[in-house]
Amino acid sequence: MSRNVAVVGIGHSRFGRRTDVNIAELAFESIKQALEDAGIDRKDVGFVTVGSAGGWYEEALPAVVINEYSGFKSVGTMRVEAACASGSAAVKVARDMIASGETDIALAVGVEKMSEVDTLTSVELIGRAGSYMWEFENYGMTFPAYYALYAVAHMNRFGTTTEDLARVAVKAHKYGAMNPLAQFQRDITVEKVLTSQVVAWPLKLYDSCPLTDGSAAVVLASEEVARKLTDTPIWIRGIGYSSDSANLSKRDDYIGLRASVEAAQRAYSSSKVGPEKIDVATCHDCFTIAEIMAYEDLGFCRKGEGATLIREGQTEIGGKIPVNLDGGLKAKGHPIGATGVSMIVEITKQLRNEAGRRQASIKNGFGLAHNVGGTGHYAYVTILSRDAT
Amino acid sequence: MSSDPVLHSRRSLTLRFDIPISHTREFWDGLKEGKFLVTRCKKCGNISFPPQSDCPRCMSNEHEWVELKREGKLLTYTLVQVTPASFVDNDPYIVAIAEFQGGIKILAWLEGAKLDKIGPGIQVRLETRVSKEGNPYYVFTLPQSL
Ligand SMILES: [Zn+2]
Repeated sequence: MSRNVAVVGIGHSRFGRRTDVNIAELAFESIKQALEDAGIDRKDVGFVTVGSAGGWYEEALPAVVINEYSGFKSVGTMRVEAACASGSAAVKVARDMIASGETDIALAVGVEKMSEVDTLTSVELIGRAGSYMWEFENYGMTFPAYYALYAVAHMNRFGTTTEDLARVAVKAHKYGAMNPLAQFQRDITVEKVLTSQVVAWPLKLYDSCPLTDGSAAVVLASEEVARKLTDTPIWIRGIGYSSDSANLSKRDDYIGLRASVEAAQRAYSSSKVGPEKIDVATCHDCFTIAEIMAYEDLGFCRKGEGATLIREGQTEIGGKIPVNLDGGLKAKGHPIGATGVSMIVEITKQLRNEAGRRQASIKNGFGLAHNVGGTGHYAYVTILSRDAT
Repeated sequence: MSSDPVLHSRRSLTLRFDIPISHTREFWDGLKEGKFLVTRCKKCGNISFPPQSDCPRCMSNEHEWVELKREGKLLTYTLVQVTPASFVDNDPYIVAIAEFQGGIKILAWLEGAKLDKIGPGIQVRLETRVSKEGNPYYVFTLPQSL
């Protein structure tokens, strides 16, 4: 029988262009906060998982470099990779180690440092994240180009417009401006999005998440330990996961991410809750089209109706299902491996009622984090709750 | 821009891979001869693109090479304006996914097309090419009328 697991400590660095810190110093910012928030020290931690895609910073083995810098000795550790969902995967491994009884306390850290190489090299490294041989070698695919293939198909099939996509970016910036840790801190307009540079038609610069440096960390604990450490444990009720083909040419269609649909179904079923009970969510909005598809894939609306939700403001505070009140990947920033952990930090804050001006109203006590790796290559959906069962 | 001091590393790293193609050699050689070949499993009949010597359906390694009909239907596409570092010398290019006989889908550049003249559903043709460095590849082209 598996044990209940709670988030008992959270930490989050400022996201942005962080030329002031290296990878270990950046991770340390979140690790220290998370341990202090949990009221524990390093010797209490049985295992450290580090979510990081890597390749754009100088260290090849980030887990050991980070642990050494942070003063961990002899701790069990690994780097976890699931592309942009590495953070969620790191949380899942840490959760499973506690649920299985292997350890009582585990730390999941997500970190990425993307500004140490030039921008086009970053574009190249992310563009290779698919099937190198069949999509990159001869055809030079980029991350926005992958999602643009979905955008064109979705727009053609359902009448989603570039204005609808722009509304997602405007919402992201609106909440990003309320989050002091976000990379972008100012409002934008639909017109600003529509007149920004085309990166991969029809997606423009302001449809796209930025390149970001950042870290986030969570301390997880077993029920027995969690109840001693805090009065406000936030319980991990279920984690759903799935994956899809490396080659986009092997996908069934281009109007949604099958991996997201399946991960959501597994998360809902393992936590015995449906989308209608979710009070607040973070959705993987690496590009504006991704958020609209996520609404549909997660069951917040029917397939093809994602644009209606954003047009009606249903994913803002006070709407049917507030999404990305931290600014999302678009405005908060998307340090690849940190994003999944950052989402768990945000949902934990929301469920603890600690989100300040951007606090959602929590009625049922459930929050959801949806984290996609690559272009629907990996998907993780984590459901958190104020109640253990 | 930030003025934080950084150590500009003296050690640069160039990665260039020698990618094994012995299991798909017929495909690459075929392109040079103007043929577009895909693998068909001799045990279960499954057709694979990208070609692969081991069948992903039944795991048999007995396969044969068959030619794919060149006429396909455009499913989706994009114009890549901001290109990766290793493509900086290229003009912006249209990448498309098209569907062929038996539901086989392929991703490639769509040559000679203008964005305002195309849309999902139009016919495209699969053509073989050889780069000036001698590397074979393939592209989509439009019927003369477009
Ligand atoms: Zn077979």
